[in-house]
Amino acid sequence: MEQDIRIETLIIMSVAIFAVLAVVAFVVPFEDQETKLFFIAVVAALTGINVVGLFMVWRSSPTIVDEVFLMTPTGMLLKHYTRRLRPDQDEDILAGMLTAVQNFIRDSFDEAGGRLNEIRFENYDILISHGKSIVIAAIISTKKPERLRDQLKTATADLEAEFGDRIAKWTGDKKDLGDVDVIMKRFLSGKYRR
Amino acid sequence: MELREILKKIVLLGDGGVGKTSLIARYVVNKFDDKYIATIGTKVSKKDIQVVKPNLIVNLRMMIWDILGQKEYSKIRTSSLSGAQGVILVADLSRPETVNNLQSFWLKEVQQVVGKVPTVMVGNKTDMVDKGSMAATILESTGQKLGIPTLLSSAKTGENVEEMFLTLGDILVADVVAAQPRAKEKAPQTLAEVVDFIIQDFCAQYGDLEKAMLIVQHQFEDAGVDIRRPSKEAVLQALDGLAKAEELSLTKSVARVNLEERQRMVILSKG
Repeated sequence: MEQDIRIETLIIMSVAIFAVLAVVAFVVPFEDQETKLFFIAVVAALTGINVVGLFMVWRSSPTIVDEVFLMTPTGMLLKHYTRRLRPDQDEDILAGMLTAVQNFIRDSFDEAGGRLNEIRFENYDILISHGKSIVIAAIISTKKPERLRDQLKTATADLEAEFGDRIAKWTGDKKDLGDVDVIMKRFLSGKYRR
Repeated sequence: MELREILKKIVLLGDGGVGKTSLIARYVVNKFDDKYIATIGTKVSKKDIQVVKPNLIVNLRMMIWDILGQKEYSKIRTSSLSGAQGVILVADLSRPETVNNLQSFWLKEVQQVVGKVPTVMVGNKTDMVDKGSMAATILESTGQKLGIPTLLSSAKTGENVEEMFLTLGDILVADVVAAQPRAKEKAPQTLAEVVDFIIQDFCAQYGDLEKAMLIVQHQFEDAGVDIRRPSKEAVLQALDGLAKAEELSLTKSVARVNLEERQRMVILSKG
């Protein structure tokens, strides 16, 4: 539920409440000065709570992960998770091409064997994390990709520790993949922690 | 009947201009333009085939990496070749040197990068050259010597293109066998138990649990299945809808096998 409320909506609601209270405090004629001061104090306290609340919501709101590709370093798609339905997209081919692009960039620009860690396109960020046997590419459209980097690294390390050996020996049979969903779905929620 | 889904990485190799890209163009799922081969050195497409074995249906998905044929780009080629589990080596029968290069260059490179993997050698452009030509003879004798299947094909007429994938597919899943049959599980008795079993079976085969449950819900609603007190007629009607969904997600033959098995269970159930 927390993810469904946009921060912009909360700001608009807070400003509206504050405006109504301010109008009441300064326009409505109070019977005595003490009542007026009390009302203004209530408005100030509510505004303070609002500001703190907004800040806390912003801090705790997860970065929304639109799509995640769990792949082998050779470009084979192990699992794909998405929040959007894109009927024209073929996730197997996309995973392969994403790997092909990484290979191309690595071979063209980096003699030392570096890796492509991020691709930015318009409103999208593609964060890529590399393990020994797995690669995770996360597509996000929110504006806080930096928060996800650590989560991505942690999830990659955890998957590598738990399933790395199995995936390194994987022959392509989907039944031998193991239950990677537990870790991946926690990561997809945008709140992955150990 | 056991169902297995297997994914393999296949690489198409051969000299530039032998027709690798044309050979697959009409027979695979293409989502990206061929210009990517020239720009990043690779284009990925896929081909699904089905191999039927005793007590086992293998749905084999071949991810096909079509790689730039110019020999100079060895670095990009090596990266793309990494992890390949099968190779299709293509030569142009109208250019005999491309046939010679299969063994002297391409096969060597494959073995250096990925070792010995299932391979098929293809002599392309039979629409331009006689099948009894010197190049075709050399290709076949090379294949025999190395123990590699050879095919003569034409991208223009489509001759042997499908066979090229089927031949490689058979080799790729040659060692895949049905799991040992387990001790016979107690068959579901009542119609409610059968319905529960069908839902679980459908979800397991579909793969994506959430989507599968949505499909089940939709089909059951359409057929008027009351999940607490199902009727055989309604369940049988819903099974048709599930089979149609499986035709799209799996294959027609698997959907048919599943439908017949489920219909039999429903008819034999109590209630």
